[in-house]
Amino acid sequence: MKKLFFIIAVLMAANGQAQITKVSLQASGLTCSMCSNAINKSLKSLDNVEKVMSNISTSTFEISFKNNAAVNFDELKKKVEDAGFFVSKLTADVFFNNVKLLKDEHLPFAGMNLHFLNGKEQTLNGVQQIQVLDKGYVSSKIYKKNSSLTPMDCYKTGVAAACCASSGMIAGSRMYHVTLL
Amino acid sequence: MRIILFNTLLCFLGMYAQGQELYVYTEPASNMAAKSIGFRLTNSLMQQVSNKEQYNFHSVPELMIGISKKSMLHGQVFLSNRNTKLITEGGALYYKYRFFSVDEVNKHFRMAAYTRLSYNISDVHQPAIDLFGHNSGVETGVIATQLIKKVALSASLAHMYAADNGKGNKFIYANNNRNAVGYTLSVGKLMLPKTYTSYNQTNMNLMVEMLGQTNWETGSSFLDLAPSLQLILFSKMRIDVGYRFPMINDLKRTADRGFLLRLEYNIFNAF
Repeated sequence: MKKLFFIIAVLMAANGQAQITKVSLQASGLTCSMCSNAINKSLKSLDNVEKVMSNISTSTFEISFKNNAAVNFDELKKKVEDAGFFVSKLTADVFFNNVKLLKDEHLPFAGMNLHFLNGKEQTLNGVQQIQVLDKGYVSSKIYKKNSSLTPMDCYKTGVAAACCASSGMIAGSRMYHVTLL
Repeated sequence: MRIILFNTLLCFLGMYAQGQELYVYTEPASNMAAKSIGFRLTNSLMQQVSNKEQYNFHSVPELMIGISKKSMLHGQVFLSNRNTKLITEGGALYYKYRFFSVDEVNKHFRMAAYTRLSYNISDVHQPAIDLFGHNSGVETGVIATQLIKKVALSASLAHMYAADNGKGNKFIYANNNRNAVGYTLSVGKLMLPKTYTSYNQTNMNLMVEMLGQTNWETGSSFLDLAPSLQLILFSKMRIDVGYRFPMINDLKRTADRGFLLRLEYNIFNAF
């Protein structure tokens, strides 16, 4: 019984607080303010979004989230694409509490699965900035260049392959490929 | 005169600008935001060829719906006072689908296909085909738009087919004259603001467009030049003012030049 409570406590600690505090994304394909406003309104329609600060000249949007709200990168990307544009860069401010990073580690984190592409083995503490390198989050040029950073299939497919099952990932679940900035 | 106008267009292309692609007389390859709704009222005052003191008034209220990120549908109603009273002469459905897009920061190249299905009950009074207020028929075309930081350039090519108009008003020209090719070339430039600080700033854009048609059977053509000024207010409203006139005028129209005033209002995340 005590063991069960302990496991529940660990799980709650791992998934309880919103650990992604801010996302900054840059959109591509636009210059005009009405286009930027379409993205601005589209992002604001998400329930977990607290505030969006737009810079029309640089096509960047600083998104802050409601307390304890879960963040989903694909949801943000879909909102930009629904407005008629694409994401050219997405970075997130992430709070790490003593998280150990191994090479090609698949890390379940803040409700998402993260695969750190080219970081060295280290222990992460405090707020760090990560960038998503998946297809649709960078230009096709950068995506092709990054393909050499991992031999694993998941970078091409965007989902966990069967080989990841050993670290507890369900094959086919969404995998975000990120790098520390 | 034509050479001067063409050179002006070329200078326009070379001048420093941040381009705009929300053209007045044509649609760009880009799409409305998904789940957005727009309202448009396009009014034209066209000068009659046979009586230069007489202007025909046309008004087209329009409802625009962004169905998905790639497709949109417009419904248009045609009002005209050409036959002395202002009456509803018909309507059209316009559908556009964006099938190609390569985007970079402040840049894109996009292509879209579109079709317009029109119905009109007015009498057919000119060999030029116009599915935006004169003829019943179908128009199908392709649009390509290039936005680079400084310039937005767009071109389109379409096939137009004139059916008989409603209420017994037949297409009075030879059957073979029912087909035409439409082609356009548009360029836009952002004049104000010099730097963006807020969504509430008024944007002012200048556009120059070339609008042409060649009858497939007779080979007669018209080619109009249409400069226009556009104001965008609060990043959701548009006011367009334009004037179009023929540079080449072999394909006849009963009123071939005139003014345009359009009002547009957009609602994002409407449904």
